[in-house]
Amino acid sequence: MNARGNVVMHRAVAVLLVLFVVVLSGCASTSPPQPTARPFENLRQLVVVASGDTTFAVTEHSAEPGRTFDEILKWGSLGGWWWKPAADLAHRGINWLLQLNRKSDASAGLGDVSPRDVVTAAFASTLLASGQYDEISTLTAEPIGDDRRGADAIVRLAVPAWGLMRVREGEPDLHSAFADVRAELVLRGTGVVVWQRTEDVTDLERVPLATFTADRQFTRQQLIDVLERAGQRLASELLYARSAGR
Amino acid sequence: MNAGRSVAIAALLCSLALASGAGCARNQRLDVRYPEAGVNRALLASVPPQRVGISPVVDRRLDTSRIGSLPKDGRVIVTRRPVSDIVHDALTIEVSRNGHAVLPDAQDLVLAAEVEEFWLDVVVGRSHAQYVGKVVLALAVVDGRNGETLFTRHYAGTNRREADADAKDVAREVMDAALARTLHDFATDPKVVAAFSRRAR
Repeated sequence: MNARGNVVMHRAVAVLLVLFVVVLSGCASTSPPQPTARPFENLRQLVVVASGDTTFAVTEHSAEPGRTFDEILKWGSLGGWWWKPAADLAHRGINWLLQLNRKSDASAGLGDVSPRDVVTAAFASTLLASGQYDEISTLTAEPIGDDRRGADAIVRLAVPAWGLMRVREGEPDLHSAFADVRAELVLRGTGVVVWQRTEDVTDLERVPLATFTADRQFTRQQLIDVLERAGQRLASELLYARSAGR
Repeated sequence: MNAGRSVAIAALLCSLALASGAGCARNQRLDVRYPEAGVNRALLASVPPQRVGISPVVDRRLDTSRIGSLPKDGRVIVTRRPVSDIVHDALTIEVSRNGHAVLPDAQDLVLAAEVEEFWLDVVVGRSHAQYVGKVVLALAVVDGRNGETLFTRHYAGTNRREADADAKDVAREVMDAALARTLHDFATDPKVVAAFSRRAR
């Protein structure tokens, strides 16, 4: 009886072990596959389409004048639940008015500069210089006809914001030109998006705002430079991601 | 007398240690590093594998004691490791991930790098802060056999982000991203590829 009991026990242990292994292997087989990046190194002909709204801005990121309001009202008897939202609103309103003034000064010499065109041209020329593409055409609207048929993929590019931005506090504060850009690469025919990127580009030079507002040629050059840099950056990231997962 | 002097020296050393510890506590220390997870095989991988040496990175910044300061309280921002080590490690990762062997000797090519800027600006607004990181490197590709400089260029990367003024990781992430952009520009530069190819022939 004892011998029989031992056999049953051994078999039970064996069955449990088998079950254990099966369960483990089941877990392994049901684990989700690792996502693999989609290489798009076989794409040779691209169409670049620039679109979307573009806003020129002079951004301060300043605590003033709202901080000043706070200080003033601390002295008096005013205050209460309504104060904080009212001060925020006044802060935004005054900054908006100040920005309007700075914006008109800074953008005075930029009439013929098209941010989308500058970014698109720099993007296309950087990709072509890489030798990884046979043909890159730039359009201002979605490609149709032969333009569409000849493309392996379409890059949709936008410049949502550009302008000047305060980047360093001091006496005086220092500002830089900036451009925010985004792009996506879409396969023709399937519409599958294989790459997306948003880039914030800030110019390397920092100068007082007065320099920008006083010298239109300088401002124009700085802004064109940062737009070109934004196009190059997008291209660089596309090239970097091109063979991801290879 | 000797025992008294020993006690005094020990007390002095302890005071110095405490003072330096307090100094460290005042600084904001960032563990900046090249985000390895995002490293790809890029254009640089199209060249046959090379044996590459990376010279010790030279720190040419005007102020090597910090990478910025916080406007609110004037605290100094520093990196946990020397900036030259951070850049050296980043170059090592990028070059080796692109299929080349980074070796201390017997090189086909030598990469010589200088750090010209490694800086974080923080501008505090009414409801949030803006962080702008900036990295500028001068890189040269040198023929390992005859010392000829094959190529030299500056690479610069910036990253800008808005966040709470007290956000914990944003400052580090901004510097990581600025460094990554600098390295991505290097790894996708056709002229770097040409310099690597020239040595490969």
